[in-house]
Amino acid sequence: MDMNEIKEIFFQECEEQLAELESGLLKLNDGDRDPETVNAVFRAVHSIKGGAGAFGLDDLVSFAHVFETTLDCVRSNKLEPNQDVLKVMLKSADVLADLTNAARDGGGVDEARSKQLIRELEALANGEMPAASEAPAAKPAPAPQAAAPAPAAPAVNDEGFQPIPFSFDDFGGEEKPVEPYAPTCEILFHPKRELYAKGNEAALLLRDLSRIGEMSIRCDMDSLPLLQDMNPEEAYFSWKISITTEKGEDGVRSVFEFAEWDCDLEVRTVEEDHEPEAGDDELPMQPVPFDLSILDDADTDVPAEADEAPAPVKQTAVAESNVVPIAASPRAEAPKSEARVAPAAQQAAAAASPAASAASAAAAAPTIRVDLDRVDRLINLVGELVINQAMLSQSVIENDNNGVSSINMGLEELQQLTREIQDSVMAIRAQPVKPVFQRMSRIVREIADVTGKSVRLITEGENTEVDKTVIDKLAEPLTHMIRNAVDHGLEAPEKREALGKNPEGTVRLTAKHRSGRIVIELADDGGGINREKVRQKAIDNDLIAADANLSDEEIDNLIFHAGFSTADKISDISGRGVGMDVVKRSIQALGGRITISSKPGQGSVFTMSLPLTLAVLDGMVVTVAGQTLVVPLTAIVETLQPEASAIHSFGASQRLISIRNSFCPLVDVGRILNFRATQANPVDGVALLVESEGGGQRALMVDAIQGQRQVVIKSLEANYTHVPGIAAATILGDGRVALILDVDAVVAASRGQSLKQEISLAATG
Amino acid sequence: MASKKAAQKSLSLAPVLDLNEATALRDKLMALKGSDLAIDASAVERIGALCAQVLMAAAKTWEADKRSYTFAKASEPFLKTMQLIGVNIEHLLAKEIQR
Repeated sequence: MDMNEIKEIFFQECEEQLAELESGLLKLNDGDRDPETVNAVFRAVHSIKGGAGAFGLDDLVSFAHVFETTLDCVRSNKLEPNQDVLKVMLKSADVLADLTNAARDGGGVDEARSKQLIRELEALANGEMPAASEAPAAKPAPAPQAAAPAPAAPAVNDEGFQPIPFSFDDFGGEEKPVEPYAPTCEILFHPKRELYAKGNEAALLLRDLSRIGEMSIRCDMDSLPLLQDMNPEEAYFSWKISITTEKGEDGVRSVFEFAEWDCDLEVRTVEEDHEPEAGDDELPMQPVPFDLSILDDADTDVPAEADEAPAPVKQTAVAESNVVPIAASPRAEAPKSEARVAPAAQQAAAAASPAASAASAAAAAPTIRVDLDRVDRLINLVGELVINQAMLSQSVIENDNNGVSSINMGLEELQQLTREIQDSVMAIRAQPVKPVFQRMSRIVREIADVTGKSVRLITEGENTEVDKTVIDKLAEPLTHMIRNAVDHGLEAPEKREALGKNPEGTVRLTAKHRSGRIVIELADDGGGINREKVRQKAIDNDLIAADANLSDEEIDNLIFHAGFSTADKISDISGRGVGMDVVKRSIQALGGRITISSKPGQGSVFTMSLPLTLAVLDGMVVTVAGQTLVVPLTAIVETLQPEASAIHSFGASQRLISIRNSFCPLVDVGRILNFRATQANPVDGVALLVESEGGGQRALMVDAIQGQRQVVIKSLEANYTHVPGIAAATILGDGRVALILDVDAVVAASRGQSLKQEISLAATG
Repeated sequence: MASKKAAQKSLSLAPVLDLNEATALRDKLMALKGSDLAIDASAVERIGALCAQVLMAAAKTWEADKRSYTFAKASEPFLKTMQLIGVNIEHLLAKEIQR
């Protein structure tokens, strides 16, 4: 594995940490005061900082450090995470994401912005935290670190506790490692309550650490309360350690491997030439001969000390360390191999211990990272398998006149199996919409800032899963819509107050599964669509005739027209008139539908209904004018055999079908797609009642229904070119290509809207 | 700080001051709060970070109460462990055992 691969993994992890960070901050913003949430947020920034340090990403480290310092104030209850504080933190999370992206892709970042935020974060850490001014050790820390990326070890604290170095020179020259190069690591070790609760002992970890090199240590007791206020089982001490060890950071980390999840650990290699400076100024050495043997004796009693479940694990670790003397290199591998086994054992132990149950619940199910290409290849192959299986079935049926045979039985089982394999493979690609939703919260913040509106984004159903392709393509239209919702939808705070509304506007983003599709709803509590204005604008822009009689729904839908914008002045955010039509097109390209429902004064709801996957489709196979077409099953409400008495003609060529005392326009698919020149007789065919995007129904007339089956979608655009009225293609069991009908486009075309022209153009061209 | 007074009380620490002892140690110390205190750590064989925390919190408390708080005797493992975990108790040690 080369450095770039490791770096790539780091960035992937950064993405996860950033998501964790943001969701934690949002939870805090919603009033969650669970210390675990604060810890999760802190951990996220901390991990990013740690990794970034390892790759020398100084900008990232310095920003993360200041951020972390402020978060630490929140964690230690020195700083109340109120809305103002969280606003700064959320912005900082955005900048951190920018910095991460810049580090990955090389782009630049808004330096003024990050500097401003560094100042704000420092102000929070210093200004609003009186405790900090009493603890000089904490206060000066952020300032120098903002300037210089390397966080230096702080000065000796004023209570007089000074670092004590450990030197092994005094007891046994043979134990002194002769090292060609021994980097100095600075370690921040902050155990959590859980560490002790699980029977781990910080003192033993420190002792193990002291064995791998020459170390000096300073115990930070700032958070230690008075005796009457203290919880004897809480972790108050934290340590700053400087250790010179041949094993470097890895060696240091392996010491803490058992306790990794129950402490905050930061390990950083200090540049060689910086070390003496740090030693002189901040970690005055007081060489004290130190005989570890006394502590070693104590080790034999360790089980008594930690008689809870994890004790054996710890014991083995200790034993392991005892066997090998401090000479570093020969046992370099020992702690590592030990560590492979230990975390699992510890996890099991943690699950058994009620005190730790919360922590283990937070641990995610084991996962592996798989290259998306591999998954796609698998999906493609399974698609081929499905087609092949269908072809095989068909040829067996054609060649087997007896009807029932063992081959048929076997084929049915095969069909079931392939279907199951396909479902499972699709599930690999399914991802929760959470990342996209999280991105939206940032967009809301930024736009709220620019427009001076106060907005609250509520997300629901973030764990709803959908195919990754859909997720990837969802971000852009959602961004447009969120921008529109905040910029156009929500009123200015003063206006909201005047209207008796909460000055803070609410935008609600919801995802849910509904009948095999994912439905995403974006609701705002703004003024709703100003239909008068929309109508006037449409007339001005020649979209509709001045005397056109439009239903509310139709007026609302006008905003999806290209070149339509009601913003009085064009802003950076929206109002270029390329918003909603782009949104609609991208949603349609995903095989989705978008609808609006708006109530004046109460806000608008945009509802998007999208397929769960773009790879397969349950379809009804029909015949139209000798062609085989597939109609997506999700669009079909019911099928019926029209009777002559139910068909009513009006106008030149329009026909209606009467279904249970209501009329529904009848659309001849063959005619719309130019498969035939004249309209077919409805009585000879079958009508498919479909739900169109406007919510109205249409009866699509086809010649016959062949059956219902799952088809693998093959893109027409990628393999041929876009054909209006056709969504995609598929390969049928007999090997022939069948086109998949774009129901919405066909319905729109039947309304005589713009697509008709497009269709005839395509038909002639 | 280590001035001896008539009202001085003393506390002998148990040999094993591990994770399980922290609460008991705190309770013992709380019972002595308000008096000058001389601690006998000569029997200590092992001390963990939690108990060290309790002892140092007590030192802070005694200081706030303007009472003396000293380690009259201390075993080698006690002193070593405190050094190991970076807790300087030099100023709390009785003069006789200061090094």
